[in-house]
Amino acid sequence: MNEQKDILSSPEARENPFRMPEGYLDSFEDRLMARIAAEEKPAASRTVRFWTILKPALTLAAMFALIFGMGYGVLSLTRTMGNKPGTDASASYATAEEEMIRPASLINYYQTGPTEEPELDEDAILDYLASELSFSELAEIYAQAY
Amino acid sequence: MTDTEILQLYRSGEREKAFRGLVSTYKERLYWHIRRMVLDHDDTDDCLQNTFVKVWQSLDRFRGDALLYTWLYRIATNESLTFLSRQQTRGGNLDLEAAARLATDPWFDGDQLQRSLHKAIAKLPPKQKAVFNLRYFEEMPYEKIADVLETSEGALKASYHHAYEKIKTWMKEEIDEKF
Repeated sequence: MNEQKDILSSPEARENPFRMPEGYLDSFEDRLMARIAAEEKPAASRTVRFWTILKPALTLAAMFALIFGMGYGVLSLTRTMGNKPGTDASASYATAEEEMIRPASLINYYQTGPTEEPELDEDAILDYLASELSFSELAEIYAQAY
Repeated sequence: MTDTEILQLYRSGEREKAFRGLVSTYKERLYWHIRRMVLDHDDTDDCLQNTFVKVWQSLDRFRGDALLYTWLYRIATNESLTFLSRQQTRGGNLDLEAAARLATDPWFDGDQLQRSLHKAIAKLPPKQKAVFNLRYFEEMPYEKIADVLETSEGALKASYHHAYEKIKTWMKEEIDEKF
């Protein structure tokens, strides 16, 4: 047992019996960096290829989004203009109608208000007719009247 | 270059310079660690490159709560264990393959004792092999091996002891067979 233990305990057993090709470690870094560069390149080009494939689809999606957004925007704007907050469409139409009617009502109020009809004076009418119409016209009116 | 210098350089934005410093500082130690695990030079080269590629890819995520060299050893060990596991999955007999490799390897200059020792180490389960190598050849303290392998010190001590005893027995058997 002691003999075997001595074998494992001997400095000879711990010595490194392996060798490596000459210059192996000197060139190792350059080979390693070349491998890393080669592995990173396809990764980068894969990203570019992925983008190339994805680009038309994304453009199309963006266009749809833009069209949808514009449509939605116009619709929202129309609704906002037509609707006051807290009212429905019919109420807003009624309001608009009321607003349109109100000035007319005001005009009517002043036009049809309680004004006194002026009393017609018969002599004034005759004077008016005598001054404005010729004799023949007066004769014609008279013939029609009687 | 020290770990602190490497990390300072990296954090100052000199990413490639820091990485080159790290590779230059650790490539030889990690090479020998991997080589003892996988034995073949070309396989070691693959594993070492994979190790540093992973380091390059994840250096941003290095939190700094572990020593840089512990972290590097962990990645290198995992890379070696993955390689050995793949070999086993392919149906390879690690024991016989190791014996054949050592017999024909132009980059192995060991004598009979060393050949016998490395053949015996090759028979160990991969993780136990890592424990034995780190302790026996690199004389790494158990505390640091525990950090590298993310295992308790007690379990490591037991594992090392079992590995040591098995290797002694296998070497004795081989010697007894020959004489």
